[in-house]
Amino acid sequence: MNTVANLPQGATSGIIIPLVVFVATLIATFWLRTIGYSYAARWAKSSGWSGEQTLRAATRVPSIFWCIIVSAYLALTVSTVPAAWKGPINLTLGSVLVVSIFMAAMNMVVRLIYQHGSRLGIPRRALGTAANIVRAVVIVFMVLTVVEIWGLPFAPVLLLVVVVLLVGILLLRDVLPDVLSGLQLTSTGNVKVGDHIRLESGEEGEVIEMQLRYTRIRGADQSVAIIPSSRMVRSTIINYGPPVTRAREPFRFETRLQVTELTGLGARNLKELAEILKKSPDSVVYYHTHNFLLEHHFLFHEPANDFAAWVVDVLGDAVLGERLAAVDIFEFPNLGQLRERLVEMMEECLSTQENGRQAPPDREFYFLKSVSMVLPTSYTARNLREFLEALRKISIGSLYFHVFEARLRLGKGLNDFSTWLKDSMGEEELARKIARIDPYTYSLEGLRSLLIQFVEQRIERSSQTTSQLSAGAG
Amino acid sequence: MNSTFVGGGVAEILSRMVPLVQEMGVDARWIVIKGTQEFFQVTKKFHNALHGRQEDITKDELELFLEINRKNIEELNLDADVFFIHDPQPIVLVTQKKKLGRKWLWRCHIDVSRPDQRVWDFLLPFIVEYDAAVFSAPAFSRPLAIRQFLISPSIDPLSDKNRDLTPETIDSVLTMFGIPKDKPIITQVSRFDYLKDPVGVIQAFELVKRSVDCRLVLAGGTATDDPESGKVLAEVQERAYGNPDIHVLSIPPDSNIEINALQRASTVVLQKSLKEGFGLTVSEALWKAKPVVASAVGGIPLQVRDKLTGLLSHGIEGTAYAIRQLLTNPEYARWLGENGREHVRYNFLITRHIKDYMLTFLAVGRPEEIVYL
Repeated sequence: MNTVANLPQGATSGIIIPLVVFVATLIATFWLRTIGYSYAARWAKSSGWSGEQTLRAATRVPSIFWCIIVSAYLALTVSTVPAAWKGPINLTLGSVLVVSIFMAAMNMVVRLIYQHGSRLGIPRRALGTAANIVRAVVIVFMVLTVVEIWGLPFAPVLLLVVVVLLVGILLLRDVLPDVLSGLQLTSTGNVKVGDHIRLESGEEGEVIEMQLRYTRIRGADQSVAIIPSSRMVRSTIINYGPPVTRAREPFRFETRLQVTELTGLGARNLKELAEILKKSPDSVVYYHTHNFLLEHHFLFHEPANDFAAWVVDVLGDAVLGERLAAVDIFEFPNLGQLRERLVEMMEECLSTQENGRQAPPDREFYFLKSVSMVLPTSYTARNLREFLEALRKISIGSLYFHVFEARLRLGKGLNDFSTWLKDSMGEEELARKIARIDPYTYSLEGLRSLLIQFVEQRIERSSQTTSQLSAGAG
Repeated sequence: MNSTFVGGGVAEILSRMVPLVQEMGVDARWIVIKGTQEFFQVTKKFHNALHGRQEDITKDELELFLEINRKNIEELNLDADVFFIHDPQPIVLVTQKKKLGRKWLWRCHIDVSRPDQRVWDFLLPFIVEYDAAVFSAPAFSRPLAIRQFLISPSIDPLSDKNRDLTPETIDSVLTMFGIPKDKPIITQVSRFDYLKDPVGVIQAFELVKRSVDCRLVLAGGTATDDPESGKVLAEVQERAYGNPDIHVLSIPPDSNIEINALQRASTVVLQKSLKEGFGLTVSEALWKAKPVVASAVGGIPLQVRDKLTGLLSHGIEGTAYAIRQLLTNPEYARWLGENGREHVRYNFLITRHIKDYMLTFLAVGRPEEIVYL
């Protein structure tokens, strides 16, 4: 039977000894590896160092390679392998060692980026980009070192790296400034997702997403503006912070367009005017007491309602005209009562005169009817800030619908803004303040300005209260 | 659908409106009915009669009118969601409503407030077949068994008659007509027609001239279908003879840039009509931010709100007084002019006109007073 003792001398020195050296060194290095990790764990625990887990995770696989490489190197040294072979094998072992060291370093840095980046609140996609940059740099240096080990010409590889870098920079020349600005933006933490911001160029809305290259802002009209990070960094940004209160139900702005219907009825004197008005539907009363608001909204002083204007211009009755013009529409909860009041005034006047003056031909009072077409807009408000932004942008028709038409024509008794502020925002004081405005005493643009002013004041007050509370808490 | 592609206000509006509506994504088609010379003579009589003039229309002429409409029905491939018929010429097409269904609207551009009863009675059975009628001014409508909508005409701000002009172009037009710029210019642009009261304009101007030095420009054309226009022009020329400050200009009907330039060069624009349809020349002047003095007739009061977007007058003395007010108070005149321009911007541009048509199409068939779209 063959035993080791019986093996020839060449076999002992050629195979057995290197094998024994390899196995012994492997056992020794693995033992040292285990000791090293245990010592590091104890030291980390006693010193409170949090990097031990990262270090272990980054070096776990490469350290196995290191043990094998050292063992193989020593085994090769004591072996009888021809010298001509030893050189390339040593270079190969050296290369594997270099690669494993670089891989360990790369793993380490990447893990540190993710750990610390997450703590700073940097988006995961941004951290991924940074990790990829680190990987690319490490791989470049690794390749260069391996080339150096093998003694290959260095210049072509370096040239290739430079060319790749230049091409990359050229391809990414538009993206790089945004990426760098994005890093700056996220590291400062001045703007966060959920904040309501306004750029000096006019874009305004809630920040719904932040990436290295861009920030997405959703406006009150639900449009999403994508702002490149380089512009964000250059622009002056007013950050109103996250809204203090969110609405239970969002306010969806609607608008209203009008079709004018002819009744075919006309009045030639005051008596006919009163008689036809008495029998007219609400849509006729509404048209003649409201149409002038929209038709002449650009005028600083809007004309009186149609009845008053006709009585003065055509019948020449300035006294009755003044009374009809002075009817405070805001006082009336519905169109029926308004009609009664107007007819009452006309009949009072008729009691002192016969039919009154006759209108010349073509100057009769023609009864018209308002047909409202209501349609949704893209504007929605979920908080006061969005409400304010929408107020600045909605059409005159939308403002008119929610203030005038909702209260009197739809019979809600209150304008839509006040209802929403009270019921969905809990802003009772602001709701009352807006409900108290007599909209008939303002031009529509004047009314818009007043509403904006009220809401701005409320937001300012609420910001001050929040600041005081924060200061008190601090 | 109407009766001509060229000539007249309806064709002018449709030629600008149809492309815009198509741009909006609406498959709009403009169809013109075919007719003979005799047919159009009859429809011209209808037109005059609906305006209130007495016309002698024979039974044969009525039969011809129906016959031509019947031929058109046979030849036309009627297929649409909304049929929009302009004026009386194609009015009979509505007899296809029973067969085709859909929405049918009659767009009446004529003042039918005091029509010749015989013609009105002839057309009425067709009118009430429609789902709705559309009129240009409240005064044009009358009690009908169908719904009636008010849609004012409009101007196109980008047309040659209304677009911005350079000062050089304006000056060259004044030079061409021999009008110096040394005095305030008062202008009336309208056909030479008794109903536009050009002699009344000269009388008002003479009253103004007593206290304020100014010029008068009376610009307009003579129409081949109006035998009176030549006579009126001759009377006006005779009345103005010997007064170097009165410029009577007889210009071809397609002189759009010239009319635009004359309006823009004016200090005050007049429209002293005795009777008027809608009077779009008023909107044209207001769009140029000119202070306007106009008679309170037809559709003019819709455009001129007295003392807010211009001044309304009722006679020669009132017109002269209003002109004097404007000439001696340039700030007030400018304020009125600017208001007038805004009034036109919001209420009398082609965009508003298209919007009104679209809304009316939606409103027909929906009786509610508040329609949620």
